[in-house]
Amino acid sequence: MSSHREAPAIAKDPVADSTDLYAFVSPDAPGTVTLIANYIPLEGPDGGPNFFEFGDDVLYAIYVDNNGDAAPDVTYRFRFKTQIRNPNTFLYNTGPISAIDSPNWNRPQLYSVTRVAHGTETVLGDHLACPPCNVGPRSTPAYSALAQSAIHNLSGSHGKVFAGQRQEGFYVDLGSIFDLGALRPFQDLHLLPLPPVAGVNGTKHLNVHTIALQVPISDLTRDGSSTFAGVTDPRAVIGVWTAAYRRKAMIRGDGDDIESGPWVQVSRLGNPLFNEVIVPMSAKDRWNELPPASDSKFVQYVQHPELAKLLPVLYPGVFPNLAGATGSRDDLVAILMTGIPSGIVAGFQNFTGTTLADMLRLNMAIPPSTSPSILGLIGGDAAGFPNGRRVADDVVTIELRAVAGVTYPLVNPGFTPDGAAGVIYDVEDPATNTAPLSYLGSFPYLNHPESGFDVPS
Amino acid sequence: MNLSRRAFLSRSSIGIALAGAAMAVPALGAVIKTSAAADKVSMPNGDVEPLVAHVRDLSSGEVSLMVGTEQVVVRDANLAARLYGAVFARKGR
Repeated sequence: MSSHREAPAIAKDPVADSTDLYAFVSPDAPGTVTLIANYIPLEGPDGGPNFFEFGDDVLYAIYVDNNGDAAPDVTYRFRFKTQIRNPNTFLYNTGPISAIDSPNWNRPQLYSVTRVAHGTETVLGDHLACPPCNVGPRSTPAYSALAQSAIHNLSGSHGKVFAGQRQEGFYVDLGSIFDLGALRPFQDLHLLPLPPVAGVNGTKHLNVHTIALQVPISDLTRDGSSTFAGVTDPRAVIGVWTAAYRRKAMIRGDGDDIESGPWVQVSRLGNPLFNEVIVPMSAKDRWNELPPASDSKFVQYVQHPELAKLLPVLYPGVFPNLAGATGSRDDLVAILMTGIPSGIVAGFQNFTGTTLADMLRLNMAIPPSTSPSILGLIGGDAAGFPNGRRVADDVVTIELRAVAGVTYPLVNPGFTPDGAAGVIYDVEDPATNTAPLSYLGSFPYLNHPESGFDVPS
Repeated sequence: MNLSRRAFLSRSSIGIALAGAAMAVPALGAVIKTSAAADKVSMPNGDVEPLVAHVRDLSSGEVSLMVGTEQVVVRDANLAARLYGAVFARKGR
């Protein structure tokens, strides 16, 4: 998956497990950028009575680098605090939760947002309410209005925020892709063949927990500007990543757990699938502990990705040109670790410099597309992944095709991609340009969560 | 020092949580350096947070001390040995 359960250690710690990161110029508010970091993978909507919530003992952060050194220039920190209104009941709610401050919600969760820039910490919001999980029609009637009331304005005209449960917006054929790299629609060509069938969205009917910000562009740029001298203006490009932290020591028992010591990074996410598919198993946990500025030590896995070697083996005779390509995949290094420099793709760049770092790079000078392609840049839409990432972008297909060779000619004109490289997909044929999910047209864009009553696991 | 949270919890080492008001938080370095004469160390006023001590490797004499979000690493073979000694003395070894 994008980054769900992507490493052995964090797979055992879902509350701190980042799953997806999005960054895009807001289509309905183009003077702003929306940043979304998702956590807690594969939430069954009916997972009560202790429904999902953020970790009070986790520090969540979204980072923005605006000068290309892969170090944070603007940081947003989120801390959560859960309350128990009635300690004498096992119930999540003691009646319908008709308002976000309903006394019937027995376990409300509040949070703070702190912005750090130029060495100054500013609390942009405190005691902000999350919405409850979508339990069902009796417990959480009129859920959309309930969730809407959990969108909060941040102080000082720094935008708005939402933190709470959402429908999983990332789609992938989980059951197939991890069964030895099978793509159901093409599995008759697999080394271990089966009849081809339609792809399946393995995350359908699952939820996730979202931290979403919509902030003015001027809050993110190196000089506070919000307009740019065209697409090539380096001030327009930012790198984004999210990370989660736990305290270094925890002593359990004796009535109260004791946490102590500095915050230690346990999860990180920039581009989708980087740690999941690029980094080998033995290094995944270490990668999650490191900052993006340390990513040069992982560049060999991008230059020579394992998946590019596997595809010709798993699909014999389908990828002969890929099988013969032994050079460094500098196209993938650009896409994932430096951004794409000017002159590679006409009218586009999201280059942040030579520092190798897994960051989601967004050129904010590119306006939202009026006719978006879920294939993003390889679909001719420069407003989509890997120029940031929008909620509906088909990042699995984009990265599959890129690894299979469709982007290799950008840096190696002598390479001819195999015919299959440009047509493979896993869930639905992106030629329809339709994601298998629906999204909201406005902030926080990810749809309301699936109801536990309607969607039992 | 590679001291991950999980390593801290799982590796063969000693971690001791001392919860209470008896630890000299503002002057940790002084406490350690003058540990042989602890009775001369002034104690802080008011409430203090729990202290967690971690000795990864007795032979190195390196002791990590954590209070709040702070961590101080000191190299004090005597202190490390006394922490181990306190455990083994209780176990009668």
